[in-house]
Amino acid sequence: MKTTRQWIATGAFALLPLAPLTALITAPAAQAAVAPEALVGPVADYKLYVLDNLEQLVSHTRDFTAAVQAGDVEKAQALYAPTRVYYERIEPIAELFADLDASIDAREDDYEKGVEDPDFTGFHRLEYALFHDDSTEGMEKYAQGLMDDVNDLDSRVQGLTFPPETVVGGAAALMEEVAATKVSGEEDRYSRTDLWDFQGNVDGAREIFELFKPLAAQEDAGFVERVQDNFDDVEETLADYRLEADDPSAGFESYDRVSDADRRALTGPVTVLAEDLSTLRGLLGLN
Amino acid sequence: MSQFDRHSGCPFHRRTDRSQTALPPADTPAPAHRERRRFLKGAGLTGLGLGLGGIGLSGTCPARAASGHGQDVTSAPQEQDAQLRYPFHGEHQQGVVTPRPATGMLVAFDVLARDRDDLERLLKILTERMAFLTQGGRIPERDPLFPPPDSGILGPVIAPDGLTMTLAVGASLFDKRYGLASARPQRLQRMEGFPNDALDAARCHGDLALQICANTLDTGYHALRDIIKNTPGLLMVRWKQEGTVPPLPPAPGEVDGSARNFLGFRDGSANPDGSDDVLMDELVWVGRDHDEPAWARGGSYLAARIIRNFVERWDRTPLHEQEMIFGRRKMSGAPLSDSTAEGREQDVPDYSRDPEGKITPLDAHIRLANPRTPATEKNRILRRPFNYSNGVEANGQLDMGLLFLCFQADLEAGFITVQRRLDGEPLEEYIKPVGGGYFFVLPGARDDNDFLGSGLLAASA
Ligand code: HEM
Ligand SMILES: [Cu+2]
Repeated sequence: MKTTRQWIATGAFALLPLAPLTALITAPAAQAAVAPEALVGPVADYKLYVLDNLEQLVSHTRDFTAAVQAGDVEKAQALYAPTRVYYERIEPIAELFADLDASIDAREDDYEKGVEDPDFTGFHRLEYALFHDDSTEGMEKYAQGLMDDVNDLDSRVQGLTFPPETVVGGAAALMEEVAATKVSGEEDRYSRTDLWDFQGNVDGAREIFELFKPLAAQEDAGFVERVQDNFDDVEETLADYRLEADDPSAGFESYDRVSDADRRALTGPVTVLAEDLSTLRGLLGLN
Repeated sequence: MSQFDRHSGCPFHRRTDRSQTALPPADTPAPAHRERRRFLKGAGLTGLGLGLGGIGLSGTCPARAASGHGQDVTSAPQEQDAQLRYPFHGEHQQGVVTPRPATGMLVAFDVLARDRDDLERLLKILTERMAFLTQGGRIPERDPLFPPPDSGILGPVIAPDGLTMTLAVGASLFDKRYGLASARPQRLQRMEGFPNDALDAARCHGDLALQICANTLDTGYHALRDIIKNTPGLLMVRWKQEGTVPPLPPAPGEVDGSARNFLGFRDGSANPDGSDDVLMDELVWVGRDHDEPAWARGGSYLAARIIRNFVERWDRTPLHEQEMIFGRRKMSGAPLSDSTAEGREQDVPDYSRDPEGKITPLDAHIRLANPRTPATEKNRILRRPFNYSNGVEANGQLDMGLLFLCFQADLEAGFITVQRRLDGEPLEEYIKPVGGGYFFVLPGARDDNDFLGSGLLAASA
C-alpha cells in the first residue's frame, strides 16, 4: 500500500500558488557554492560504481553474445534484458562516447532506413532478430561487434577523469531518458523488457543522488526529502511488476502488461524527479 | 428569429458583462455602432494599441474598447496588438465570447493528482499561472546555475498579445478518484462517435482541457510550456491541436467579414452575437434556468471536434456543388436564399418560401444545422473554430481540417442535437471527424483569492 507522500509540484512557482506576482520577480539568489573538495569523494565513489557495473556489463555481454553465436535463441532472449541493465545504469558516462553509444544502444528510429540500415547495430539490432524474427541467423557479426564495443567502452572509461558536473547532471539525464523513452515503452519494443531498463535508469540516478545527498541536504533539506520520496514511489510502482517480489534477478513482466493507469502513475513521480533533479547541479553550485 | 443573428442587433449597448467592467461605462447613444466601426477603420485607429488607447476613445462601448476590438466572435481577426489584454477575473472565463484571435489551440490533459488535495493544488497553480500569463509581465530571474523558470521564448517581458486561457473539465474527472461525482454537470458525458466519425483514441477525451488563444502561436506555446513546467506530477498532456484563422487587413468602409475555413467558405456568418449578454445567458452560459448544479452557473459546455477536410477532393468539386452543400455562396458568403446579385454574408437565410429546398437544398449544411424554425431556436450554439494543418498523410494528401469548438449552455440541446441533424449531410463526403471531446468550462475565478474550480470542490466536499 502506498503512503501518501508529497511528490508534487516543485516548479519555480508551484510552491507559491496564488502568491502575488510581484513576489515572484525577485533578484537571482546567489547559491552558497559547495566547496570543490567536497565533491571529490562522491565523484570517486561514483567512478567505482561505474567500473563495477562495467565489469558486470562485460561479463554479461560475453554470455549474451556467446548465446547468439551459438544460435541458442532461447538463452539469448533470456539474457538480453539482464545484460542491458548494466548499460542503462551508467548511461550518463557511456554517452560521453557518442560513437560507442550509437553502435551499442541506438534504436532503429535513429536510422532513416530503420532495421534495414547497415549502420544499425548493437543491442537493439540483436533484439530485433531475437524477438521479432525469433532467430540468430546472420547475427554473428553483430554479436561480435557488440562485444568489441563493450570492451572498448570498458577500457576508455578506465582512463577517464569524471567531470563532477557530468556526474551530478547524470541523475537528471537518466530521468530524462526514463521520461522520454521508458514510460512510453519505445525502448524495447520487440522484447517488451522496458521495465528492466527503466529500473536500470532509476538505479543509476538514485546512486548519484545518494552519493551527493549529504551535500545537497546542507543546501536544501526539503529537496532531499522530496526526491527520496519520489524515488521510493517510482520503485514501489515498479515493484508491482516484479516477477518475484524477493528476487530482483527474476526481473519484470512484459511492458504490455503495464496498464494505462500505471503508466500515468509512473509519469507523475518521474516528471517530478526530472524537474527536481534538474536543479541538483545548481544546488551544488556546479556549472 | 432573425433578431438574434449577430449582425442584426446592436451588440455594444446591451453589454454589461461583469468580467469586463474594469472601465467606466461610456454614455454613447445606441445607434450606428457599425458606422462608428467603419469610421474607426477609415481613420486607421483600430490597430493603435487600443488595449490602452481604447480608454480614451469615449463613445465606443467600454467592454469592447477595453479589449481593443470591434469584432464579433468569429470576425476575421484584425487586431494584432501585442498589448491587447483581456481581464482574467470575472463571472465567466475569457475565451468564450471573446472575439477569436488569429490562433488557438486546445490541449487535453490527464490529471495525475493523487487525491483531492492534489487536485486543489493543481487548480490553484493553473489559476495563478493563467492569471499571470494572460495579463503579461516580467518573468522572474533565477541563479543561472539553475534551469530558468521560464522557457524564454517570448523574451524577458511577456506581452499579453490577446492571450486567453480557458479551463474546462471532462467527464472522466468525475470518476471515483476525486470524489466529484455528486457535483457532475448534468449533461457532461463522454463523447460518443457519430456515424461519420473515425475517432482516433489518442486524440479523444481528457480529464481537463485548456483552450489557449492568442494573436500569435508563439504566445500560445509559451503559455502551454509554462503550464507544463509548473505542474510536474499533476498533469500529463493527452493530445493537443492548434489552428489558425486568416487575419484580414482592416478594410475601410466595409463590414467585418467572417474568416474563411480551409474549404474556402466564410465560417461563422450566422453565429449568435457573442456581445449580446441576454442571448449569451440564454444560449451559452449556464444560469439559474438551466437545471444544473448551482456551482456550475457561469460555466458553459465546450464541444471540441478535430474534423479532417479532404481538401484535394474538395478542390476537384464544382463550385456550384460546393455552394449547394453549404447553402451559401463561396465568395460573398451570402445565403443562397438571398437571390439578389449583391447578396451579403450578413443577410439572414430565409427558407420560408422554399419548403421543398429548390433554392437552398433541404440537406444543405446551414439548413440542417439551423432550420430556423421556432422549435430549433434553442439548439443554437456559439462556434469558435480554427483551421488546422498537420502535415501529410501516407497517401500524399494534406492533413488539414477544422478544430471545431463550440460553446453552449446545454450540450444536448446544442452540439449533440445539431450534429445529429447533420448526420448524413452531403458535406460528409469531404470531412472526417477524428478526435475531440466534451468538456465543461468552469465558471470564472472572481478575484485573486478565488481559483477556478473552487465551487466544484466546495459543492462536492
Ligand atoms: C469541417 C467541418 C465544418 C465545416 C467546414 C463547416 C462550415 C460551415 C460554414 C461554411 C457555414 C456557413 C457560415 C456560417 O454561418 O458560419 C457553417 C454554418 C454552421 N455550421 Fe458548420 N461546418 C463544419 C462543421 C460543423 C459542425 C460539426 C457543426 C455542429 C454540429 C456545425 C454547425 C454549424 C452551424 C450551427 C452553422 C450556422 C447555421 C445557421 O445558423 O445558419 N458545423 N458551417
Ligand atoms: Cu452599439
